Amino acid sequence: MMNMLLKVEQIETYIGQYHILQGISLEANRGEVTVLLGRNGAGKTTTLRTIMGLSPARTGRILFDGREIQGLPTHLISRLGIGYVPEDQGIFGGLTVEENLRVAMQNEDEKSKERLEWILNLFPDLKVAWKRKGGNLSGGQKQMLAIARAYVNDNRLLLIDEPSKGLAPVMVEKLMESILAIKEHTGVILVEQNFLMASRIGNRFYLIDDGKTVQNGRMQELIENDELKRKYLGIA
Amino acid sequence: MELFITLTTNGLATGMLIFLLAAGLSLIFGLMSVLNFAHGGLFAWGAYVGTWVYMNTGSFLVGIVAGILTGMLLGLIMERLIIQPVYGNHIQQILITLGVMIVLGELIKAVFSANPQGAPAPSWLSGSFEAGNIIFVKYRLFIIITGFIVLILLQYVLTKTKLGLIVRAGVMNKEMIQALGVNIKKVFLFVFMLGAGLAGLSGVLLGPYANVITPGIGMEYQMLAFVVVVIGGMGSIIGTGLSAIIVGLANAYIAYQWPQISMAVNMLIMIAILIIRPQGLFGAKEAHSR
Amino acid sequence: MNTGLPLNQPKRRISVHHLSYLILILLLLLVPLFFKESNSSLIIISNIAIMAVFAMSYDLLLGYTGIISFGHVMFFGIGAYTVGIFMKKFDYTWLYLFEALITVVIITATLSLLLGALTLRLKAHFFAMLTLAVAELFAVIGNKWRSVTNGADGFSFRVPDIFRDRLIFAYVAIIFMILIFFALRQFTLSPVGRILQGIRENEERMEALGYHILSYKIISFIVAGFIAGLAGMMYGIGTRFVSVPSVLGVDLTLDALLITIVGGVGTLIGAILGAGIIEVVSQMLQSFAKTYPIFERWLLFFGLAYILIVLFFPYGIVGTMRMVWEKRRYRRRGSKS
Repeated sequence: MMNMLLKVEQIETYIGQYHILQGISLEANRGEVTVLLGRNGAGKTTTLRTIMGLSPARTGRILFDGREIQGLPTHLISRLGIGYVPEDQGIFGGLTVEENLRVAMQNEDEKSKERLEWILNLFPDLKVAWKRKGGNLSGGQKQMLAIARAYVNDNRLLLIDEPSKGLAPVMVEKLMESILAIKEHTGVILVEQNFLMASRIGNRFYLIDDGKTVQNGRMQELIENDELKRKYLGIA
Repeated sequence: MELFITLTTNGLATGMLIFLLAAGLSLIFGLMSVLNFAHGGLFAWGAYVGTWVYMNTGSFLVGIVAGILTGMLLGLIMERLIIQPVYGNHIQQILITLGVMIVLGELIKAVFSANPQGAPAPSWLSGSFEAGNIIFVKYRLFIIITGFIVLILLQYVLTKTKLGLIVRAGVMNKEMIQALGVNIKKVFLFVFMLGAGLAGLSGVLLGPYANVITPGIGMEYQMLAFVVVVIGGMGSIIGTGLSAIIVGLANAYIAYQWPQISMAVNMLIMIAILIIRPQGLFGAKEAHSR
Repeated sequence: MNTGLPLNQPKRRISVHHLSYLILILLLLLVPLFFKESNSSLIIISNIAIMAVFAMSYDLLLGYTGIISFGHVMFFGIGAYTVGIFMKKFDYTWLYLFEALITVVIITATLSLLLGALTLRLKAHFFAMLTLAVAELFAVIGNKWRSVTNGADGFSFRVPDIFRDRLIFAYVAIIFMILIFFALRQFTLSPVGRILQGIRENEERMEALGYHILSYKIISFIVAGFIAGLAGMMYGIGTRFVSVPSVLGVDLTLDALLITIVGGVGTLIGAILGAGIIEVVSQMLQSFAKTYPIFERWLLFFGLAYILIVLFFPYGIVGTMRMVWEKRRYRRRGSKS
């Protein structure tokens, strides 16, 4: 399975005394968008945070390209090639768009500059807002910036948390296109509440309920399975 | 008029000394949410070691370097041994840094002496000169100029270098900067040592300004630095600089007229700002718990 | 922030618990008898009891509510100076003693209410910093206001004669300590006390549950304040002398800190144990200082010990014991983790 980027084995995460993740297992492949679906509070965001090392797992294994990364500090996980776009985008409000991108670039070499060019062409709005402070950007621009930041390094896997939240439909379209364009070079794990978006760009899905992965399969299977959708997503 | 100039240079000089202390505190708190109650101890040690080295080598510049290095060394030890282990636990961290402050103060008394120590200015900086009809004390101008140079350097590093960018970003969002691949622990150590070095520098500079140094200067100046950090807000070098100047000048003028109440005035200003505008006059981070 | 401190639970097996308290009280009451020949020992015992009360009031803030105040000594000083002034300026009779008591309670409660209301909404660091500054200010005022306080020199005064007997005063001090201990214990077990502990554990959650955090913190601050004032009063009555360094000095705050940490944060008993240990050790160090000058810097040793304890032993003696005991209880019951 040379395509397998990430393998998560039965991780359990506690936040304080709360047993948030009670057994999450999943796999993500290169060239695919793997969607994590589930109700609010099910543990989707925590799953991403655990992979990223921000909320370390208490038990379980996480393998990235065959290498165990659970327990590693966040910055090392990032440098191994995983990019993260949190739910609130994590834009540095007091820094300009340019500075936000600059601080994200781990190497200032040719490849990174190419990637920067590429992503700026995908999001020309960012070139327009180049000198504007992060705090003054619109929701859509913030989202674009957050994704650009995660992309600009040579990341093989991107973790993206609810990017469509609060965005106008036109922006959501744009977002979907960009993720589809990105996934060619990079694997994506996407947390999404917006089932329409998830079903249109996702290749695989995992249903998370009460901190456990309960179902998974190809996206097409989920689209056709009304019972699952109703049970875990509340979609009639 | 002459009085006004004297008080103003005094105020500016004091202000610069406090700025050097407060700049470190401000960056450290802004980035790490650590309020170092032992920062004044670093200041005092810089003063004592710097002065001692100057007295024994005859070179004031070497003394200054010694003061800075002392601050940085103590800062390194503190950060690794004391701050890191309790990182995240505010109560432990406040308690423990107070303990370190006491230990540092007692160590000064043990290693040097509990009595006031003389700290003369080097010959090329002592005395005064006349310009127009006004007399300027050389050493005070030296402090003011040095302070401004440091301020400009700090501001430059913070706004124009990648490291400065990382520090500023870290102040805004610690988690995100790690998710972007930055080893936040190294940045913490760097900022801590930088702040400590500045404290040491301020200490050495204090010597010839006050002419004597005592073990109590650490606590005394730390209090003033706290006031400045609160007034100026955290994470802004320019803000800290301006606030330090304000506090320095206010203290100089008030202490002249009503020497008894200058301390109380500092505190009242601090309380007022904390209540009315907790992010300080220029700052980016709040002092309120909500 | 979850401090991991065990919440003060009402014990289920009442008789054993009450019995052990009874035994403890009897032991405590016997102690002065062992030393009745030595005035200096009786003085130390009285001091331990008074410092224990001071530390208990401090623990109410630090251990039970999660508030760090570096200015607690000012309440102690107010208590001591009030009784001194009343005894000296008026008369050393029981009437004035009683009036002094009322005054102490009023002043400390009012001061803590005002100060608390103004400053308790601040983040921990700033509150600590501010209280340090306020205490410093008090000491400065104390020094300058010579007409009332006689500054750093202080003044001595007389008290109702019965207190001059060291043995009797030792008993008064111990009974005082026992009474305050039980009163505070009831307070911490009461609904208000539970809320305070909840605030210590997780302020945001308590707020989300609808509790007005600031009001509860102020309550804690007031109670701690006036108990510290009472301790100061007792101290004044015992020593019949007050001065700025002896009752308003910052090292008293450190004493309280050290006692609380060594004994155990969030355990009232810890304050009693800690007071005993710290007083005895400091007496020892001071006598060593006569032969070995290095011990003149005994504060240095205390400071170092304090740092080590905060780092490695943050729950103090009683605190750690309680945690070990709690773990054993869970294991025996075979509870889930």
